[in-house]
Amino acid sequence: MVRLTDLPPATQTGMRNLDCPSFERKPFVSGPALEKRRVAVVTSAGLVTRGERPFVSSDTDYRVLPANTPADRLLMTHVSVNFDRTGFQRDVNVVYPLDRLREMAADGAIGSVADTHYSFMGASDPRGMEANARSVAGRLKADRVDGVLLTPV
Amino acid sequence: MSALAYYLEDEGLPTVAISLIRVQTEKVGNPRSLWVPFELGRPLGPPNDAAFQKQVIASALGLLNQAPGPVLLEDYPRDDPTSAGIEGWRPPFDLAAGDIDLANHAELQSALADEWRAVAPSYARFIAANRRTTFGISGLDIEACGAYLAAYLAVEAPTNPIPAVSPAQAVRWAADDVKAYYLEAMAAGPGIPSSRQVQEWFWDRTLAARTIIALRKRLMASEDARTQALGRMSLVPGVQALRLGLT
Repeated sequence: MVRLTDLPPATQTGMRNLDCPSFERKPFVSGPALEKRRVAVVTSAGLVTRGERPFVSSDTDYRVLPANTPADRLLMTHVSVNFDRTGFQRDVNVVYPLDRLREMAADGAIGSVADTHYSFMGASDPRGMEANARSVAGRLKADRVDGVLLTPV
Repeated sequence: MSALAYYLEDEGLPTVAISLIRVQTEKVGNPRSLWVPFELGRPLGPPNDAAFQKQVIASALGLLNQAPGPVLLEDYPRDDPTSAGIEGWRPPFDLAAGDIDLANHAELQSALADEWRAVAPSYARFIAANRRTTFGISGLDIEACGAYLAAYLAVEAPTNPIPAVSPAQAVRWAADDVKAYYLEAMAAGPGIPSSRQVQEWFWDRTLAARTIIALRKRLMASEDARTQALGRMSLVPGVQALRLGLT
């Protein structure tokens, strides 16, 4: 188990005291009932499609993950070694739960699953990701997404 | 993660973020978050438990239909039922004990190759059962990964097998692939051991881990700050470095 409290004290302190951005404006967007929403995943797990350039330290860009990308084409290239990878090795849905979302769409719990999903690498300063995040927002809206599930590692 | 959610919401998209580090989520104050009590790296909880994962997703997405915030941060009440691991767990292969001289290039490369061969059948079983592997970040095969790691320890300036990146970054990616190969092989047996069980076995019992620990020391001794940082932060997990008394 590697919970925050299991990490070396210096790492814990670094994570607790991380200089996170905070925002005065508080956007809060409403939408239709969950059963009608089109859901996409945005993860900060550093996922790439096999053959793409892996993420490296300080990267603030993103990778495009078409929904039909086979699970065996996905690699996790987050730069941190301080989290568990064995769960993802066994089951991609631990981090990138497209199979679960498809099942929920089939059951009627959500409306549909987006055609395209996105991955950043969460160890970089998120302020540097702002322009790219806003770019991803445009792509998601073009895909008629109205529910985004964000997954960290 | 929380800041990404904020930027997307600010562009007009309804978002909900899973949170593994609550204090960071509190600082950012993005619109909707579900904090989960799982270990880092497992935002949806246990692998291969579709019902559990769907409950987590349903709880998270359910926040989309709650009354306006401005900030909703809820705690998921259930822990990962596999987090305790399996009592008496051991991997599905045996490794020969040996006192290898890491400075002897030929001896190390040969011993690493012997170790891959012992691990390989379990790794093949893992792939057959899961129909995927996370090995492949470096673009090298396991033999080439081992050859480069051994050479980096013993040879002054070994040929970088990934010319697009620095020699130290190539060490990092080759080490990542070695770890993936072993950890997946270790998962080929029945049941789900905890991540702590597999990590401690790997770092305590394998020549591959001894090699990576020696590479950590080598990179940290570099005069180049980026190489030092790669050695210090990118090869051995902090919790293992602390447990093993690495400085």
